[in-house]
Amino acid sequence: MMSSGMGRRALLGLLLAGAGLAALPPGSGAARAQANFPTRPITLIVPFAAGGSTDVVGRLVAQKMSESLGQQVVVENVVGAGGNVGATRVAKADPDGYTILMGTVATHALNPLILKRKPYDPVADFAPVSLLAVVPNVLVVNPNLPAKTVPELIAMLKAEPGKYNYASSGNATPLHLSGELFKSMAGVQMQHIPYRGSGPALNDVVAGQVPIMFDNLPSSSEFIRAGSLRGVAVTTKERAPSFPDMPTIAEAGLPGYETYTWNALFAPAKTPRPVIEALNAASVAALKDPTVVERMKAFSATVVGSTPEALADHVKAEVAKWTPVVKEAGVQSE
Amino acid sequence: MSDLVSNLGLGFSIALSLQNLALCFLGCLVGTLIGVLPGVGPIATIAMLLPITFGLDPVGALIMLAGIYYGAQYGGSTTAILVNIPGEATSVITTLDGHQMARQGRAGIALGIAAIGSFCAGTVATMLIAAIGAPLTRLALVFGPAEYFALMVMGLVFAVVLARGSILKAVAMILVGILLATVGTDLETGQERLTFGLAFLTDGIDFSVLAMGLFGIAEILRNLDHTETRDVVRQHIGRLLPGRAELRQAAGPILRGTAIGSTLGILPGNGAVLGPFAAYTVEKRIARDPSRFGRGAIEGVAGPESANNAGAQTSFIPLLTLGIPPNAVMALMVGAMTIHGIVPGPGVMTKNPNLFWGMIASMWLGNLMLLIINLPLVGVWVRLLKVPYRLMFPAILMFCAIGIYSINALPTDVMLIALFGLIGYALIKFGFEPAPLLLGFVLGKLMEEYLRRALTLSRGDAMVFLERPICAGLFAISIIMLVAALTPSLRRSRDDVFSEA
Repeated sequence: MMSSGMGRRALLGLLLAGAGLAALPPGSGAARAQANFPTRPITLIVPFAAGGSTDVVGRLVAQKMSESLGQQVVVENVVGAGGNVGATRVAKADPDGYTILMGTVATHALNPLILKRKPYDPVADFAPVSLLAVVPNVLVVNPNLPAKTVPELIAMLKAEPGKYNYASSGNATPLHLSGELFKSMAGVQMQHIPYRGSGPALNDVVAGQVPIMFDNLPSSSEFIRAGSLRGVAVTTKERAPSFPDMPTIAEAGLPGYETYTWNALFAPAKTPRPVIEALNAASVAALKDPTVVERMKAFSATVVGSTPEALADHVKAEVAKWTPVVKEAGVQSE
Repeated sequence: MSDLVSNLGLGFSIALSLQNLALCFLGCLVGTLIGVLPGVGPIATIAMLLPITFGLDPVGALIMLAGIYYGAQYGGSTTAILVNIPGEATSVITTLDGHQMARQGRAGIALGIAAIGSFCAGTVATMLIAAIGAPLTRLALVFGPAEYFALMVMGLVFAVVLARGSILKAVAMILVGILLATVGTDLETGQERLTFGLAFLTDGIDFSVLAMGLFGIAEILRNLDHTETRDVVRQHIGRLLPGRAELRQAAGPILRGTAIGSTLGILPGNGAVLGPFAAYTVEKRIARDPSRFGRGAIEGVAGPESANNAGAQTSFIPLLTLGIPPNAVMALMVGAMTIHGIVPGPGVMTKNPNLFWGMIASMWLGNLMLLIINLPLVGVWVRLLKVPYRLMFPAILMFCAIGIYSINALPTDVMLIALFGLIGYALIKFGFEPAPLLLGFVLGKLMEEYLRRALTLSRGDAMVFLERPICAGLFAISIIMLVAALTPSLRRSRDDVFSEA
């Protein structure tokens, strides 16, 4: 409970900090540092495949950052090992700000907890730049399932422990662990069925092979609107603007429950402060662009745009929140 | 029936979009080009061109890949007629009478009748896919992990039964394919399997890497083996459009060839290869004067060419409706679909109707395009046939390396295609067909997933495979097929069929 409370406070702090930074007048410290950075194109490493939600956020922001920095920000998809390959590359890159990472909850909280042989340290190896956006997760069920609300679902699971299954986009993903957090907070039993990505998992939940699923809100939203899935609750603290009628899990019966997927910019550790400030200013400015805001809203993401310090706190809070969940779920691997 | 019309309407509305029309055209053109160029088959080409299609939307990508496939079938006939080299296994038979016709100065007519026959066959096959496809959609809802597992097993059994040559070798290849599919991080537990601690293997072996190495690179190596001798027709190509008498002579063979080819094409395994042989045999048998065959009989071109094209198209039926790839090209299509996030199987039609009907409509349009592209371009193809292979292969090799690097930007992928190229070459030399390996690889990954998922859902109770009627039925078919293939008398007739082939 305490850990999720920290997450909530951290997020609030981030929102305030983001607003404060954006209010800085032009000609302040951040703007002056831009005078000699960047002098050549910047590579933004997206550690996931092109076309995914992280890639979309990365490309949207990179395009706008290019305009304000006066140098191209080139997106390079370096995929593999659940984002670790790309993150490791940035952790080991020269700390000059020309190689930066589109980090996520996976690269900077979950993966380092899951892997016994850690390729990088999410805190010590990176200089935080800015938390860009948060994307809600959602608890969906097959429409034929009698349980329609979170309390009904919990009652159903308690009545027949171990009978029901839930699907997710893969082992040790944020969505799997959202399910595990739900199980431990509600004190229920469900068997996890991992899939290779959300697509095939959604197929089986729509067809009724698996009754329950934790998913990213953007990938489920069309199914919920079409009625082929029932959206039971979102996992964020606040309701999602795109589904104002859907309750949160916290308000529907599990106070303090909160998970979400987030995207943030990181530079390698020891990157000079003025460079971090220039990158931060450019990314925050990109997030204020109306087209970016519009596109982010279209796939249910909430724009943040925090300070580097707030992102540093956020990473620590996330690691603290997920450590016990990962331990309990027993998903550690070599 | 009205459903069929509205579905085809949807298909044409998609296939006729400017982008898809252009991709279909490009696919047909590239397909014909590589079909004409000796030494590069459609499997190799699709394997090499896969990376390019990743940037397209799935419908466009598959339309283009399908265009390459039947374009190559057609191009293969062009070389069979003009050079006496079948560009394709399915056009072997066309060399018999087609090349004779060319020597008699009737190359144009042979090409023309091949194009017209292919177009007629394509039209019928398109209608057939549209008609058969719709009833099969109902299957989609009753297919769970257990049924999918049984379906994959059946697909592999068919691949064994209908593979050319030794059954033992085919089984061995499939098992190696399944083994290669298990490399990487385990889906359920997150443990690494068979990676030997190598970082680039943690995500498994990329399907395009395996396909490009095994088919693309190996094919180049094999071609460099033998020096080329080509018997390019020096006679005049002649007029392309057949006269009324020739059309009347060809009409029957075209219809019969279409019927035979469509039926055999639906069979999993390599049914499409058998079509032209069966059609040729039938034509020869019912001809009033069989001795004309082999000396430039127009029926000997019309029948097999129609069967060849009909089979090429109906082989999409098992792929699109059940998700079972009946041959290596279709296995590549499965790979392309999965890369685009489409799960092959009965669900494709209901969940991606745009893709399904768009592709079907594009096949018909593609056939029409082939007719239009090929007749005026014959002269260009003839000139291309004279380009020596020593100038072509370095370009192809470079193209492969760039293509594979562009997918994941991993230098290790380029090294892996070289490795798989060498393995593929060795397999060919030792008489192992690489196609079952690819099928095993593609289906193996899915099979393992479905097996484990079905067992997790049943809490480890294997009876789930026998309790579900569809699942049990599929297993029964697999067992019967396998027993039949191993029965000595049937086995002999199977060998006969293939030795004729």
